[in-house]
Amino acid sequence: MASSKPPQGHFTLLYFAAASSFTKKSSEIFRAPLPARDLFQVLEKRYPGFTEKVLSSCAVTVNLEYIDLDEDQDGENSLVIKEGDEVAVIPPVSSG
Amino acid sequence: MFREEDSIRVELTYSPLSITANTNFVKSPKAGAVVMFAGCTTRDSFNDLPVKSLTYQSYPPLALRTLFSIASEVKAKHDLTAISIIHRLGTVPIGEESILILASSSHRHPAFAGASEALELTKEKAEVWKLEEFAGEGMEGVWRANRDGVMGVKMEKGDGEEAVSQANTGGGGEDVRGRAEGAKAAEKAADGEGADVSVGD
Repeated sequence: MASSKPPQGHFTLLYFAAASSFTKKSSEIFRAPLPARDLFQVLEKRYPGFTEKVLSSCAVTVNLEYIDLDEDQDGENSLVIKEGDEVAVIPPVSSG
Repeated sequence: MFREEDSIRVELTYSPLSITANTNFVKSPKAGAVVMFAGCTTRDSFNDLPVKSLTYQSYPPLALRTLFSIASEVKAKHDLTAISIIHRLGTVPIGEESILILASSSHRHPAFAGASEALELTKEKAEVWKLEEFAGEGMEGVWRANRDGVMGVKMEKGDGEEAVSQANTGGGGEDVRGRAEGAKAAEKAADGEGADVSVGD
């Protein structure tokens, strides 16, 4: 897990558990800004099958806060991932 | 990696967990009861293949924040004297503790209730993942899910609220396999239930 700052104009995406196994990576950088609602589409394009196998059961955090990926009542979700953000794909947890 | 304040201690560590150190942390002249839950790794099998190793991964800054929030909430609700939640990371040999939860209070009932609730919330929310690897050749590891985390089931999770699964859940499934349709969902929780120890009071 790389916590180092991404290059200018990018954000860091962290993968855990099943998301890490699927991508064979623990982190990756992507171009910012990116509307949060487009994140899974970007990932699906890069990793075909990712949505069905993994992402559909995952949550997402931005700078350690869970975000809502669904559209709101107006069919919009205005949250934008910004340069320097730390974003993470959070699969269902299994501590204990 | 730990956070400690206000008689609350949460920790993630790659080292074996110390029952003594954590008992000492929650003990107090005001607390007549100390309750501990120890979750130990067990020798599980999957389709008759023995589990070779259990490895825990975490997102430490987020998991510590979540654990601290759980501990604060439970401490206030049950009026605990002190509480600690410690989770081990990395590969945990069979029979060793993967998690310790200790709660102290003036009397036993709040300590039992607080420790139990802290454990349930931790299993539900803490950003820690368990990988089971098998002895067989060419076998992939399996990431487990405490809740109904079978792939394809959307989990909604927001702002510390309960995760709610929208689709059919298969009912009460603790430790449903996070992969593969043929998973034996009814299988007993592989993390094993540890020894509950109570002293004092």
